[in-house]
Amino acid sequence: MSYSITRRHLMKSAAATGVAATLGSRLATAAEPLGIALVVPSPIGDVGWGHALKAGLEPVKAAYGDKVKITVLENIAEGPDADRIMNKTVADGNHFLVAGSFGYQNGALQIARRNPKVSVLHASGFQVAPNFSPFAAKYFQGTYLMGMAAAALSKTGKLGSVSAFAIPELITSINAFALGAQAVNPNIEISVVWVNSWFDPAKEQEAAKALIAQKCDVIFSNAQDTPSVISLCEEQGVYGFNLNSSMKKYAPKTYLGCVATDWSPYFKAQVDAHLAGKFKGANAFLGVADKVVEVVDWNPAIPADTMAKIKDVEAKIAAGSFSPFTGPITKADGSVGVAAGKTMADGEIVAMDWHVKGVVAPLPK
Amino acid sequence: MNAVEFILAGMLAAATPFLLAALGELVAERAGVLNLGVEGLMALGAALAFIVVYHGGGHLLAFVAGGLGAALLALIFAFVTLGLQANQVAAGLAIGIFGQGLSALFGKTYESLTVKGLPKLALPGLADLPVVGGLFVQDIVVWLSLLATLLIWAGFAFSKLGLVLRAVGENPKAAHSIGYPVILIRVAAVLFGGVMAGFAGAYASTVYTPLWADGMIAGRGWIAIALVVFGTWLTGRIFLGACLFGAVSLAGLAAQAGGVELPSQLLASLPYLVTILVLGIISSNRRLLKLNGVASLGEPYKP
Repeated sequence: MSYSITRRHLMKSAAATGVAATLGSRLATAAEPLGIALVVPSPIGDVGWGHALKAGLEPVKAAYGDKVKITVLENIAEGPDADRIMNKTVADGNHFLVAGSFGYQNGALQIARRNPKVSVLHASGFQVAPNFSPFAAKYFQGTYLMGMAAAALSKTGKLGSVSAFAIPELITSINAFALGAQAVNPNIEISVVWVNSWFDPAKEQEAAKALIAQKCDVIFSNAQDTPSVISLCEEQGVYGFNLNSSMKKYAPKTYLGCVATDWSPYFKAQVDAHLAGKFKGANAFLGVADKVVEVVDWNPAIPADTMAKIKDVEAKIAAGSFSPFTGPITKADGSVGVAAGKTMADGEIVAMDWHVKGVVAPLPK
Repeated sequence: MNAVEFILAGMLAAATPFLLAALGELVAERAGVLNLGVEGLMALGAALAFIVVYHGGGHLLAFVAGGLGAALLALIFAFVTLGLQANQVAAGLAIGIFGQGLSALFGKTYESLTVKGLPKLALPGLADLPVVGGLFVQDIVVWLSLLATLLIWAGFAFSKLGLVLRAVGENPKAAHSIGYPVILIRVAAVLFGGVMAGFAGAYASTVYTPLWADGMIAGRGWIAIALVVFGTWLTGRIFLGACLFGAVSLAGLAAQAGGVELPSQLLASLPYLVTILVLGIISSNRRLLKLNGVASLGEPYKP
């Protein structure tokens, strides 16, 4: 079992046991379990990003038992607080650090440089060091499939997305959603509301209401950690889906499905490598083929022929014979995004800063 | 539903958390006490109310719990600032941070859970009007907040209690010398502010966005305090400011959903800009501002 401590508890115990902890780590021997620390920016609930990361570590614990000790530090604000707390957790003897937010990048990288024996995994970043690996999910592979389902179910031909910030990771999810929908219904439109906040449940619900008022009847909750959008969808009788972990219990009737992430294969492999002394910093961009991204909890209302097509595309994505970002793709401004016959490379996808045609919302600059 | 109908239908509910908290702060400030802890009081009220609804206690009990919890926290603030004459700004900030921490502690096991909100009540006749009909379909708390606004306005304008409160805020020495218990009246005003902030939080977590998540108040307490200042301590202007803020926020979202070619960051900052501008312009009369301002706001008083 892993145990959770919050920032407040940590600071209290840090004051009380600071001396003992430092002594303890100096006396560490090879027989001691590997300390794994997970740091996430938001409180961990039953769903969401932090929950998915925590769940990804549980199979590691199951596999290694007493040989690993997992500490979860939640609700750690990006910035100096996070740097201090990550430093402390490493000083306490945790030699495997999962830094669960983009904003931890600089602090976590410094820790990696100062502590060559510590291995660090960092969410959604771009920096790589010998003992520092960024990792991100190819959500777009799942949202493409969701787009196909959404287009088949939409009566109004308008889909919506409540999105946090206009960063490439979220833009690619929306674009793939649009492309998947257009594969089923070429005339479908996608409206996007950028709430410009990672966390404001009230605003997220207002945004979803605004989209529904514009006749959108499938809503993509793009990077919301709480069921704010999904529970509203159920209340208003429109379909909704989200990323990371299933929110079906919040919308038993209108839940379209979940582009779930299962980090355990990746985490397990990296812990294996660390324990074998073979950890090597590398960029990990993982998707359906890596069993990290998987669409679950499909709504039974999706027509059988659409579902068959979805399964077919899913198999092709897993086999590597299909990518949502294969040309011809037109940008929202009418220019050529991807030429016919070409496929975007991973490096281009992670830097995507334009909407595809059919996404009617302007992109924040 | 077009954008205008959407804004009109949602405006009052969006304004309610701001309005409730700002009305409470108005009463406290009118009595001369500046309480900057509204954000924390709202967070605590929101957490307690959510817990009550989640366990089947119903919304009435939830609002009582939220209001009482926040009032208890406000009582600590009152003890420190009015009993011990501590600096109100520092004490308010501390109470605000404390309240947020407490709400996180109480809400820990309820993170990301949801409950059912309240049904909307339509005003017969008016609700069927074209375009503006949505304005008259609101939940009971919205209707009660409007009533509270009216009562507080009337209280300040016509009642003796309103006059006494204002006297205590303007010149506590004078009020004391004619026999009014200044400290007691101020404590009562702070407690009233606490209850209202608790209601505002309860509305946010059990009616407007019926879910609990740590940090869900997301700065709304600060906006409520700003509304009191920009509304120049006048009930009507505070009401106007809250509605304006709610309406412009919704307008920004509706514009995005409709694909209007404006940067979303600009749309997101519009509510602040428009509210400050409009309230700034209508209160640009310096003489009036001086007349409405609370003379001894934030100053400790020792009888």
